[in-house]
This record gives sequence, structure tokens and C-alpha cells, in this order.
Amino acid sequence: MSKISMLGLYDNPDSAADALDALSEAGFDSNNFDVLTGTPYPEGAFGEHVPQHRLFRFPLFGAIVGLTLSVFLTSTTQIVYPLVTGGKPILSIFAMLVIMYEMTMLSAVITTVIGILFESRLPNISMNVYDTRITEGLIGVSLVCTSDKKETAERAFNGSGAMEIKSSGR
Amino acid sequence: MIEVPVTNNTEKFNSATNSLVPTTKESLSGKFKLIFGIFGVLSVIGIISLILKITTVGFETKSGWGYYAAIVSLLLGVFGTAPMVAIAPTIAKADWHRPVSRIATMFTLAGISTSILAIPLIFALPPLVVDGIRRRSIWFDANIYTPHVFFGIAVIGLFFIGLALLWVTSIPDLSIMRDHSSGWRQRLGKSLSRGFIGTERQWISLRARIGMMGTFYFMFLIFVHIIYSICFSLELVAGWKDAIYPMYHAATGIQSGVATVIIGLFLFRKYWNLEDHIGIDQFWALSKLMFATTIFWFYFFICAFMIFWYGKSAINEMTIAILVNGPYMPIFIGTLLLSFIVPWWIIIWNPVRYSPAMLSVVAAIVLIGSILDRIRLYVISWQVYSDEMIHKRYIPLDEIPENMIAPNLLDIGIFIGFISLGIFAILLTTRLIPVVSIWERHQSILLTRHIKFHRTEVYAVGKPD
Repeated sequence: MSKISMLGLYDNPDSAADALDALSEAGFDSNNFDVLTGTPYPEGAFGEHVPQHRLFRFPLFGAIVGLTLSVFLTSTTQIVYPLVTGGKPILSIFAMLVIMYEMTMLSAVITTVIGILFESRLPNISMNVYDTRITEGLIGVSLVCTSDKKETAERAFNGSGAMEIKSSGR
Repeated sequence: MIEVPVTNNTEKFNSATNSLVPTTKESLSGKFKLIFGIFGVLSVIGIISLILKITTVGFETKSGWGYYAAIVSLLLGVFGTAPMVAIAPTIAKADWHRPVSRIATMFTLAGISTSILAIPLIFALPPLVVDGIRRRSIWFDANIYTPHVFFGIAVIGLFFIGLALLWVTSIPDLSIMRDHSSGWRQRLGKSLSRGFIGTERQWISLRARIGMMGTFYFMFLIFVHIIYSICFSLELVAGWKDAIYPMYHAATGIQSGVATVIIGLFLFRKYWNLEDHIGIDQFWALSKLMFATTIFWFYFFICAFMIFWYGKSAINEMTIAILVNGPYMPIFIGTLLLSFIVPWWIIIWNPVRYSPAMLSVVAAIVLIGSILDRIRLYVISWQVYSDEMIHKRYIPLDEIPENMIAPNLLDIGIFIGFISLGIFAILLTTRLIPVVSIWERHQSILLTRHIKFHRTEVYAVGKPD
């Protein structure tokens, strides 16, 4: 059975929310439909399943790696070239703080940028069916389903007041 | 709980999109090309001046780099700190900043000027070991070129974090450019938006990454200010010890950043015809930030000054002579007037805070004050440095120079040229990304409403999280 991508376009948020309810009632899995908006509506505004992001893990991982590397770099440098300054111990934390901070931050930033691409599913290679009017304010409800469910999906979209329904096979 | 009726905003969204997308194409009655050309030429003059400075002055004549160091410090404030105007209210979940945030974030691009200028200055900075003796520094017993390497990485890192911040905050608008423009704008929008279509996951991720990148930018910016102020001025003056100075440097940088955003906002609003998107509320809010940072200038200054004045030791007297009543006393008086007294006295009046033009005049005064402040701090630091002097406990009063160094043509060329280069980079970006963030305008339309409240009307702002 071939898979198709469908998009229902709505001009008000309530109709889009009704469409999600209708799709759920028609037996579609909530992982297979999504709301597309050009505006950041509050999470759950359409009664949709709110995915949890794990973006915070990336900077945390990066920070730990950066901190470890910086501690290694500064402590080994001081051990290899032991110079007593102002009577302070060879391994004094304050002499290492600046470099530790900088390396930790930079590493966290780099992994965050990688995380952004990963967590946002960017680049989105299979953009499915899309409509440029979404960035003008229309709300899209996208659905991926098998071709035999097309009519059921169309009924759900029409029943909730879709302005237009678009579909494409893949 | 008050129930606010949900209205259909499609027309308003559409109107915002269709009025902001064309701002990337408008020729501004032909004046744009002329302005673009002028800033381009001035940028080239700046780069030529920089090359001449390196070849004629060399890195050994430290006193020749004082004005140059002051310019880098100024740019760290003027351009580097301007994005904080977008970051701080975003973290605080304010609403007024939405039309301002793109303009403020665009100043990260101007960081290219700071990054280019910082590199030659690194070569002029003395190593940690001078004449076989280690000089006093926050780097203790580190490799003798540690500050050079780590400051270089930090300043370039700040620029790239800024670029990342601008990119993540622009992705939804880049997708709008992909959908509603043509030619190279559409191609670039498509390439940079990376297939953003506004799914729930993408918006959630966008909110999280804006918060994270903003926080990283802030943390790194303050770090760069601290490192720069310590390594490129404080450490170069034997005996100058001041724990407040790095924070003074960052706080006054924020003051000049706010001033820059006010002037930028005024000019974009006027010449890009954005009165419908940038209202008086934005200027009103910025005026309060400006007022607070102006007070901060005096607060940080007086905290440091009191210690030196009451201490009255030879080191304290030297520090006051270096910073206040020495050869740069006229510059100090100018700073005190233009960074604090004059803007403070003007900005306390309500009509000024409501007037974009008047507020811009105050911002311009603050920027002149910032220029004088950086001259006061950096020129003398490089002027008093010598390989012998740096190892002394402090500089005796009779060895403090009697006269100021005046800037030469190359310093002026670098100053004008690299400010122009920053503005040139911003103008170039306005050809691709609208100067008012479209998605944030949509968000503002979505989450704000005038509602009836008993017998009056109030402005209600929705804060979903």
C-alpha cells in the first residue's frame, strides 16, 4: 500500500483543532498528523500531542566535554611546566578558571548548534505536501497515511471545515 | 479567569507578511544605493587605514595602539552589546521587544568589525613574560601567549555565536522569504530555512534554542568584556587594581548597546516606513532601559572611585591620576557629562521618553560619551606601558605623562571605517531578512489584545508558558 501525504488548510484555529479531533476519531495515529503554522501558537492550542524536546542534553554534553578537555589542558600544562607563581600551588584552580570557562562555553555552543539541527528535524528533506499560504496565516493540518485511508481523511478534513485539501503520493 | 474571545487573525497575519517581505526589496527612493555606496567606501578606507597602521606604527610602539584599543572596546559595546536588548526581554518573556528584536540581533553581524580589529591588537599585546620577567596578570603562570590565543578565540567565538543567534531567530522568516519572494532571495531563504514548515516540534525547538543561544551569547559577551578590559587596559598599568572595572566595562557597554539600538530603531522606523510595526511603546520601553543603564554608569564609577579616593595610598592616587584628574581630565569631564549627567537630566522627562526623535538625540549623546569613556580608559593604559614600567609596583605620579595623545588620521580612518563596515554588513542583511521579525509580529498579533476591563480598556498580553 503506497503512502500519501495530505494537507488540510484552515483559516481559523478552532477548525484546525476540530480537524485533529476528527482525525483521531477516524482512527489515525497522532504521530502521523501535525499542525503547520507560520505563527508560534501556544503549545497545545489545537489540542494536539505536544512533543518533548531534548535540546538541553546537547549543551550539557558539550559543556561536560569542554570542561573535561580544559581541565586536562590546563592541569597537564602546569604539571609539565611547573612554575611557582606568588607562592601559590602548581595546580591552582583560579589560574585555570578563565580557560575552563571559555572552553566549556564554546563546546556547549557548538553542540547546541548541532542539537538545533537534529532536534528541529532540519534539514527537512521530505517536506511532504505544503502550502506557502501557511506563512501568510493559514493553518495546515498535515497527515501521512496509506492511500486506502484517503477518503476517510478527506471526510475528516471536510467535516471540520477545511478551505482546501491537498494531497501527494510518495 | 478572564476569557478572551479567539478571533481570526489570518488577515492581520497576511497584512504583516505582505508589508514586511517587500522591505527587503525597496530601493528607498534610490537613496539606499547611495547610502550603501558611502558605507562601502568608508569601510574600504577603514581597511586601508588598518593596513597602514600595522605597517607604519608596528607592534612594538605600544602608545600608538591606545586609540585602536579604545575603538575595539567601543565596538564591543556598541555592536556586541546591542543584541542584549533582544535577549534580555525574550528571556523575561516581555512583549514590547518583538518589533525590536530583529534590529537588535542584526548588530551581531557588525561584530565582524570587532573581530577583524581585534586580531592585530592581539599582536600588539605584550607577552606574559617581558624582559625575562613574568608580568602580573590574571593568567598567572600560563604560557606567555595564552591571553593572545584565548582572547582571539573568544572574540571570534562571540561573533559566531552571534551569527548562530541571528540564524536561529530568523529561520521562520527565512521560510517566509522562501515562500513569498523570488530570485536569489527565495533561493537563499530556502537554503537557510532548512525545510522549516512550522510543525509543533519545530516551534518548540525554536523557542528552546532562542533561549539557549541568547543565554550563551550573554554569558560569552560578558566574558569577552571582562577579558578584554583586564588584558588590554588594567594589566598594562602597573599598580592598577580594580575589581569593579570589568563589570563597569560590561555595564557601560550595555549602555552604549541600548543607545545604538534606539538610533537604529529610529532610523529604520523612519526610512523603512515601519510606523505600523514599531510603535511608541518600543521607544518608551527602551527609554527605561537607557535610564537604568545611565544610572549604572554612575553607580559603577562611584563605587570604584570611592575606594581609591578614601584609600589615598600612592597606588590609589596614581589610579585616580590615570583615570580621572591626570592628563585625560578633560576627557573624563566630557564622559561624566555625556554618559551620565546630560542624558540622565534629559531622560527623566516623560515627553522625551515618548518622543523617538528626542530619545535618539539622547542616545547619540550617550554614544559620544561612550567614545570619550573608552579613550579615557584605553589611550592612557597603552601610553604609560613600557617594558620597564610594567614590572614596577605602581607608576610614580611624576612619571605619569602630562599630555594627552591626540588621535592621528589613521586612528580616525579606522574608527569611521570599521563602524561603517558594521553598518554595511547590517544593510546588506536587510536585503534578505526583514528588519522587523515577521513571525514575532504574528506572535504579537496572536497574543495581545485590547479588552474591556470593567469600565476601561486594557492591553492584555497572553503568556502561554
